[in-house]
Amino acid sequence: MAYTPYSSSSLTHTLLHSSSSSSSSSSSSSPVSSPWLPPVLQRCNITSKCSLPSRFSLLLNPPSVAPNSVPPSRKVCQPKGALNVTASSAKKILVMGGTRFIGIFLSRLLVEEGHQVTLFTRGKAPITQPLPGEPDEAYNAFKSKVLHLKGDRKDFDFVKTSLAAEGFDVVYDINEALLESKGVNYTSIRPVYIYGPLNYNPVEEWFFHRLKAGRPIPIPNSGIQVTQLGHVKDLAKAFIKVLGNEKASKQVYNISGDRYVTFDGLARACAKAGGFPEPEIIHYNPKEFDFGKKKAFPFRDQHFFASVEKAKAELGIVPEYGLVEGLTDSYNLDFGRGTFRKEADFTTDDIILGKSLVLS
Amino acid sequence: MATLLSSSTSSLLFSNLSPPSLSPISLSLSLSFSSSASLSSSISLSSLSKRLSLSSKRLSLSSFTVNAAAAASEKKKVLIVNTNSGGHAVIGFYFAKQLLGCGHDVTILTVGDESSDKMKKPPFSRFSHKKAQTDAGRKKPGPGIMLQEIVDGGGKTVWGDVGAIGTVLEGLTFDVVLDNNGKDLDAVRPVADWAKSSGVGQFLFISSAGIYKQTEEPPHVEGDAVKADAGHVAVEKYLSEVFDNWASFRPQYMIGSGNNKDCEEWFFDRKPVPIPGSGMQLTNISHVKDLSSMLTKAVENPTAASGNIFNCVSDRAVTLDGMAKLCAKAAGLPVEIVHYDPKTIGSDAKKAFPFRNMHFYAEPRAAKDILGWQSATNLPEDLKERFEEYVKIGRDKKAMTFDIDDKIIESLKVPVSV
Repeated sequence: MAYTPYSSSSLTHTLLHSSSSSSSSSSSSSPVSSPWLPPVLQRCNITSKCSLPSRFSLLLNPPSVAPNSVPPSRKVCQPKGALNVTASSAKKILVMGGTRFIGIFLSRLLVEEGHQVTLFTRGKAPITQPLPGEPDEAYNAFKSKVLHLKGDRKDFDFVKTSLAAEGFDVVYDINEALLESKGVNYTSIRPVYIYGPLNYNPVEEWFFHRLKAGRPIPIPNSGIQVTQLGHVKDLAKAFIKVLGNEKASKQVYNISGDRYVTFDGLARACAKAGGFPEPEIIHYNPKEFDFGKKKAFPFRDQHFFASVEKAKAELGIVPEYGLVEGLTDSYNLDFGRGTFRKEADFTTDDIILGKSLVLS
Repeated sequence: MATLLSSSTSSLLFSNLSPPSLSPISLSLSLSFSSSASLSSSISLSSLSKRLSLSSKRLSLSSFTVNAAAAASEKKKVLIVNTNSGGHAVIGFYFAKQLLGCGHDVTILTVGDESSDKMKKPPFSRFSHKKAQTDAGRKKPGPGIMLQEIVDGGGKTVWGDVGAIGTVLEGLTFDVVLDNNGKDLDAVRPVADWAKSSGVGQFLFISSAGIYKQTEEPPHVEGDAVKADAGHVAVEKYLSEVFDNWASFRPQYMIGSGNNKDCEEWFFDRKPVPIPGSGMQLTNISHVKDLSSMLTKAVENPTAASGNIFNCVSDRAVTLDGMAKLCAKAAGLPVEIVHYDPKTIGSDAKKAFPFRNMHFYAEPRAAKDILGWQSATNLPEDLKERFEEYVKIGRDKKAMTFDIDDKIIESLKVPVSV
């Protein structure tokens, strides 16, 4: 899905979130039924075409994947990661989507910062949802402030018109390469693997399912492949730090955890996070198996990590969560409460375990 | 591209001694700034990421200014206590040359006896009383040639045992001492005690990144847990107690002319290259000039450096397979790697392979944050130079036997191209 940024006026600020990893194949789960639907605050009266204001800018949202289930609300204490970011002057911000994962955390931070936040969605999924453990008052305060702009992002003219009419200062969305060529003032954020509560990619969830079921963890090849996870809250905070920051103009930043981790290490870290005993890890040669269309492991079978030193040095962005700490946060607020996006599917595991030929 | 930056610096450093008033580091920085508005930064460490080289504005202007000011203002008297063997002697030589290039006063104390058996053997035997060797081209440049270059550059060289260091250096005073000699207190304490008593202002120590405890969450970062019983750890602790201004530098593997210990040569020698395990193990192989530039930064920014540990390495990881491939590429040859389980060759495993069979990867975060240091290692380019020297000294034609390699290949029964 291509979203073409506007070429006309000079845009003040564009924040891009591009996925540096080819995401796991689209989820095949059916959405969990969502009995609760918050009132939708709609914006009407979109006027006809007008020229874009000069301070229009584009920000980016996580790449769209198939709509996923929304966990039912729970009551618990405020999740960790309350913000210490110094507030910049209040802005009118449009988030394309913003109803899932990164957008959920990001929009809260923006509202807490005092910005006026509008979420642009088709209205098919709930516009807002409480975070696991979020007290009612906090959620209602957020809900009452955030605005909704209903529309289809593929309707180019509609998007353009609405943006013009509203005079947004900042927009969060995708599409890096085009922005460079259009001369738009942008900042590009590159996460590696994102994790945290409400993750719609089965990253930590994949391990948790197996740990909970007491199953061995099948890991391809040596298990010493090095990867890197970044907590969603740290990512959301990074977006905030970049907002309105001159230094970040036309720059690209890797945003992820401060340390990397081996596949084997990640399995053990997930076990620690969920209070499980140390798992049995089985290494196998993926070439010896035919898994059909199924993915036997949620990560690319290679080293994949990036230094976050530039964001640290130039913007003072320092990830807050260590790996076990962050996985514990994810477990406590999500999987540990019985919520997850994808049902456990051990088909490929059983294929691997069924064969006697496995790498030790 | 990171490539551009480092290749411009590699031609600057050590091709000849830079004019005394300019630090090679300052020189390289100013060139980079003037050449283009944007400098690349090494951000992505994944060799498989497609977005490797990015343009960014460095914020190192201020560190550059500080560095230039420091270089211009204070001439230091530096003593390098250097090992007479071992792979890290080369650090002392490069450091000496760089300091001389910056206009500092340098003395190298090589531990041992100039007339000892060690000194009689090449490469030491080619030093001091001989003029430029006619056979230099046929031997791997070693400490002998390096020490000669230092003398040519205005440095002083002495020999002696650290136990008698007070006598050996009688009457001499220094602002800075680098101990690149010992890996435990027995070896370093005499140097440290003498330095303290003679009023040395800054004490620097070459430690080792090998003291980090193994982790499943690389990289090794300064401040991470170290093996409590390691000799270097005891030295670092002692130095922190004795000196107001001290710093420790933890290197890994290095390449560079004058290195006594084989690194890249091991790969150049071989086809196929037997690598234990998966070959995915990450390590850090730096050009020794990265180490000397970091040390020089510490000398010229003593307040900033004080009390700190620095991982003395380049800022990129390389896998073991990757190193084999890069060496082959530098040699213009196809690469052939065979993997084996080291358990199958028993006690030969240690001798079979010159690198640790595990992730052994540290990042130079403290040097970048605290000293404003930048890496100039560029393995693809650096290895080309190393291969050129390898050929120049005729090592590619040298007859060699590979008993352990043969055992490994035999055990794998892998057909090998002749």
